[in-house]
Order: sequence, then structure tokens, then C-alpha cells
Amino acid sequence: MARCLRDQPIIEVKDVRKEYPLGEETVVALKRINLNIHRGEICCIFGTSGSGKSTLLNQLAGMEKPTRGCVSIGGVPISRLEEEQLAAFRQRHIGFVFQSYNLLPNLTATENVALPLMFRGVPKEQREEIARKILCRVGLSHRLDHFPSQMSGGQQQRAGIARAFVTRPEVVFADEPTGNLDSATTVDIMKMICGFARKYHQTIILVTHDPEMAAYADRVVKLIDGEIVSDEMTGSRQKKF
Amino acid sequence: MKHQDIMRMCLQNLLRRKSRTLLTLLGVLIGCCSIVIMVSIGMGTAEAQKKMLAEMGDLTIITVTPKNSGTKKEKLTDKTLKSLKAMDYVVAVTPKISLDDYDVTVKLFAGINDRYVADWSSVAGIDTNELEKMGYQQISGSEITRSGEMLAGEFVAYNFADTFRPEGSNMVDRWSGGFDDQGNPINVPDPYFDAGKTPIVLQIEANNKTIRRELQPKGILKEDNAKGAETSYGLVMGIGDLRDMLEQLQEPGKKDDGYKTVLVKVSDITKVAEVEKKIRQMNFSTSSMESIREPMEREARQKQMMLGGLGGISLFVAALGITNTMIMSISERTQEIGIMKSLGCYVRDIRILFLSEAGAIGLLGGIVGSIISMIIAVTINLISFGMPPTPEYLLAAIAGSESVTRICVVPPWLLLSAIVFSVAIGLGSGYYPANKAVQISALEAIKSN
Repeated sequence: MARCLRDQPIIEVKDVRKEYPLGEETVVALKRINLNIHRGEICCIFGTSGSGKSTLLNQLAGMEKPTRGCVSIGGVPISRLEEEQLAAFRQRHIGFVFQSYNLLPNLTATENVALPLMFRGVPKEQREEIARKILCRVGLSHRLDHFPSQMSGGQQQRAGIARAFVTRPEVVFADEPTGNLDSATTVDIMKMICGFARKYHQTIILVTHDPEMAAYADRVVKLIDGEIVSDEMTGSRQKKF
Repeated sequence: MKHQDIMRMCLQNLLRRKSRTLLTLLGVLIGCCSIVIMVSIGMGTAEAQKKMLAEMGDLTIITVTPKNSGTKKEKLTDKTLKSLKAMDYVVAVTPKISLDDYDVTVKLFAGINDRYVADWSSVAGIDTNELEKMGYQQISGSEITRSGEMLAGEFVAYNFADTFRPEGSNMVDRWSGGFDDQGNPINVPDPYFDAGKTPIVLQIEANNKTIRRELQPKGILKEDNAKGAETSYGLVMGIGDLRDMLEQLQEPGKKDDGYKTVLVKVSDITKVAEVEKKIRQMNFSTSSMESIREPMEREARQKQMMLGGLGGISLFVAALGITNTMIMSISERTQEIGIMKSLGCYVRDIRILFLSEAGAIGLLGGIVGSIISMIIAVTINLISFGMPPTPEYLLAAIAGSESVTRICVVPPWLLLSAIVFSVAIGLGSGYYPANKAVQISALEAIKSN
């Protein structure tokens, strides 16, 4: 990844097609997607439900294998990696922010945030120190030892963001990160995600159906029925931050 | 992931559903207990049998005799003794002449002018160098070192009648003092003389000839019915002396028949059958406790396996319980596993995590089960003794002792293997659920609820 040049796209999607069997028939979720995303970009994949945006995210993050085509991140063809290689790749280069936060209910905020570091084999003391620091940065210094059930939605999502960024990944995937939150919290959360990304020059792939969210992105890729219908640079960087 | 992290997560997950973990654990515990108790009862039976056999005779001694029939009769000569001694696992060999086997009249005399006389007594001659190795125990005195010496049986002095007293009151009754609770005689009166210090004259009569020989006492043997009556109401002397006497009595011209009996001591009970087989190949008849022990042991083993199998069934049911618990747990944690995968958890770590959860249930159930079954076994033993649980009996119930027979025998290896077995059962029953967990896709994490 380090040898990757600035102007080279960090994510390359080439001729990706995804089909799902649905009974006797085959549903085509993605028709033929070609997309290059550059380092440091905050890219919004925008579409209504059923447009194929979540399917595209799954292909980008290596959660599913495309029926045809290839997805590379930093030159690594992740659509062809084995499960164990993919896990190792995720540990090092990818972060996730989920719509429903997806914190493990039996772990405290600190333990949840330290989880990706634990999978990498970082010792407990060290990883929890890192986790506490980043939790303080997302404004949860008073919730370090709280369990998810003891926190509000916004707080949980902040912990989720801390968890996604704790390993300083090159790419963070955010799937409707504010879908379950009220509008005031949404602004907070989005500012936080974009703030991290700008500071460490990280790439964010933001999947949403909300046009307001799209406004935070540098680039909006609009998807309808499994096809990219528009791909615009918005210049929000200048506007909002 | 580091091992301690996996262990910590495993423990956390088990503690999350305490009652379910506890119930599953209980299943393993009961299974483990039933296996241990069943096997220990089987082993108790085996131990009791072994003890019974040991009382009947020394289990490691083979009695070799010439064949009664057959075309080619082998004699037990000194040459035979040598080749027997050279065999593997043979510790000691001694010929044994028991006057009971010969058509002779034996009388023992003691005291001045043969005042005391014993009309029937078992007199045996054996190789006195091998006395100790053959398991003869002495109460007092020293070893026989020279010709003309003897060791008196423990109660031989009570066999003597006093010729100075009238018939009917000329013997000392050892049992005249009554018995205690365990059936041992008490207030035993002293015999007329101390057999360990009084020379005894052996008189043998056969073929119209009579010979006498005075034997010097060297000590007293401990009564051992497994060895023969010579240890209680008789005496043991050097085989050379006895052979000389018998030769003198023999009709002239009759050639030597060799020994009638040779005793072979084997180093270990498990080698008896092997040595016995070899001796039989040398064309001799043999007898040992092995011929009784072996079928008894086989039967005990069968019983043990049957009992163990019964215990095994309950552990198998427990294994199903573990599998069920793990599958439940996995379907509850589907999303969690998806999250872990999407955060970069290795598949092998997930597998290890679930296997160790199942294994931990097995381990805990095994350990607690072993402890409980040990307590049950000791309680059963204590009840069977019918004695108050004094420290002495408690120890006997746990480790066994000479004086009591346990119903349940729980050796440490049984507990250890029960634990190992339980862990193996845990891992085995966790295998399928762990595989299921591994197959859960990272996509599960994204599915919003």
C-alpha cells in the first residue's frame, strides 16, 4: 500500500457484475460497474433501496465475491483473496462503520474499540490504551467502561467510529452510518468521520440513500438499478471544512 | 489473536449465559461421575478378587510337577532347576519335598527322652537359600545356614502331646481362651516348650525302616496358609537333609525319581502366564493361581467394560448437550461472528474460540465431576466398611489398605483420564458447531436488524 502512488486510485473496480439466484431466476444486482476511488477521497455511493448500493459496498469491502470483474484495494485484488488473507487484509487496511453500530453487547466501549487490535494480537494493556485515547477524541471519555446497552445511539455510533479508525486504516466503509440517528447527532457523526479522514488522509466510502449525507462527500456516485448513472465531484471540502 | 485473549473471550461468553452453561456443565459432570463410579466399582471387584486370590496363594509362584501321564516323562532334576532359573522373569527356584506327598509315617519328638511327641506334622524341605525370596516370613530367629537346622512352624509346639500326662489332658489347646470380635483366639496359653529354641527330633518310618535325626532350631516361621501347613503345624528344613533321610529309607535298587515339586517365583504377576507356558513346553505340569486368576480377571474386565459403557452413554448424552448449547449460542451470536469477521478476525481464531468454549465446558465438567465422583466413591467405601469415619478408615477408603476391601477403587489415572476424556468429548461435540460458526459470513454484520 505504501508504495502506491498518490495519483493512483486506491480502489479500483473493474467490470464488476453481481448476480443473485432468486429461486429459478437470476437477479442482477450490479450490471457492469467501473469505478476508481482515489486516496483521501470521501466518496458517497448514493441510491435508493434496491439500487445495488449495498451490494456494491459488499464487493468493495470483499464481503462477497463478484460474479464477474475484479475489485482491488491498493493494488491487492481482494475479490480473489482467500478468507484468511482477507481477514489479514481487513485487519490492516479496512475499517467499518455500521448502520446499527454493531458493538459487541458483552464488551465495554473500550474493549469494543480495542477489538480490531486484539485480532491483530496487540497485548491487552497496549490496545486498551490506544482505544481509550481514541474514545476520548470522539468525546466518550466518560463512557469508557460502559456497555453498549448503557449508551445512547449517538454514543454507540461514536464508539463504532472509534473502532473503525483505531487501526488507522486506509479505507473506511460506512454503511448508512447515521441511518438510526436524529439529525443533530447525524451532523456530529458525519463531522467526526470526515474529520478523521481529512486528518489522516484516509479514504471513506459512504453508502447512503439520504441526499443530505451526500453533501458531506467530495464525490457522489449515484446508482440506479445496478448501474452508475452519475459521478460528480462536489467540492464539499471547500464548502464545509 | 493471542491465546489469553481467546481464553478471556471464551470465559466471558460462557459467563454470559450462566444458567445454560451451568446446565450443560451439569450434564458433563453427571456423565463423568457415572463413568468414574462405574469403572471404579468394576475395579473394586477386580481388587477384591485379587485379594481373595492372594489369600489362597502367592500369585507369582508357579508349582511345577512332572507329568503324570504321557509317553516321555521328564524328571525334575537339578539340571531342570538350573534351566528354570535361567528363564526370563524368574526370580527364584526351589525344589520342595513335602513328606505329606510320600508314603511315610512322620513323628516329631522334643524334650528329654522324647517327652513330647507329635504324631502328625507337615515337614517340608526346601532350598533354604531361597526361603525369603519364595515369600516365607520369619517371626524370630535367624536363617538356616547349615545342615541339621530347621525353622519351626508358628504353632508347631501345640501339636506336641506330653507323654507324662494322661490321655485327654496331655495337649495345650490354643483356642481355650475364647475368641475376639474378629474371630482371633485370645488368652492363648503357652505351649509346653518354645519351638524356636528346642531341638526337635524328626522320625521317619517307611519300608520297615525307621530313621531319626535331631534338628537344631533357628527360628519360628510366620503362619502362611498359602505356603502350606509347614508354616503353622510343621517345620521347614534344608532339602538336602530331607533328601538324605528319604534316600536311606528307600528300597535298595530303586532309582531316583527326581523332585516331586519345584516352586518357581516370577518377578511380576503379568509374566506368570508367559513363564508358565514356557515351562509347559518343557513337558512339565504346572499349576498357579493364574489359571484361576485369568478367567476371573476376564470376567471382571467384561463387567468393568459393561459398567463403563453405561457411564459412557450418559457422557454421550452430555456431549449432545454441549453440541446443542453451542449451536444455540452460535445462532444467537451470528451477527457477532459477522462483526468479528468484518473487523478482521481470523477464521481459525473463531474456530478456536468456539472449540475452546466447548472444551472448557468439558474440562470444567470433568474436573468437578472427578472431584464429586471421588467423594461419592469414598462415601460408598466408608459406608461399606460399616465403621466410623476415623482418619485411618478415611485413608483406607481413598487409597485402600490390607485390612479392608473397597467397593470403589479410584486410582489417580482414572480421574485424570476422566478429565481428559471429558475435554475430548467437549472438543468433539464442539467441532460441528465451530465449523458452523466459521461459515457465517461477514455480511451478517451489515444486515441491519
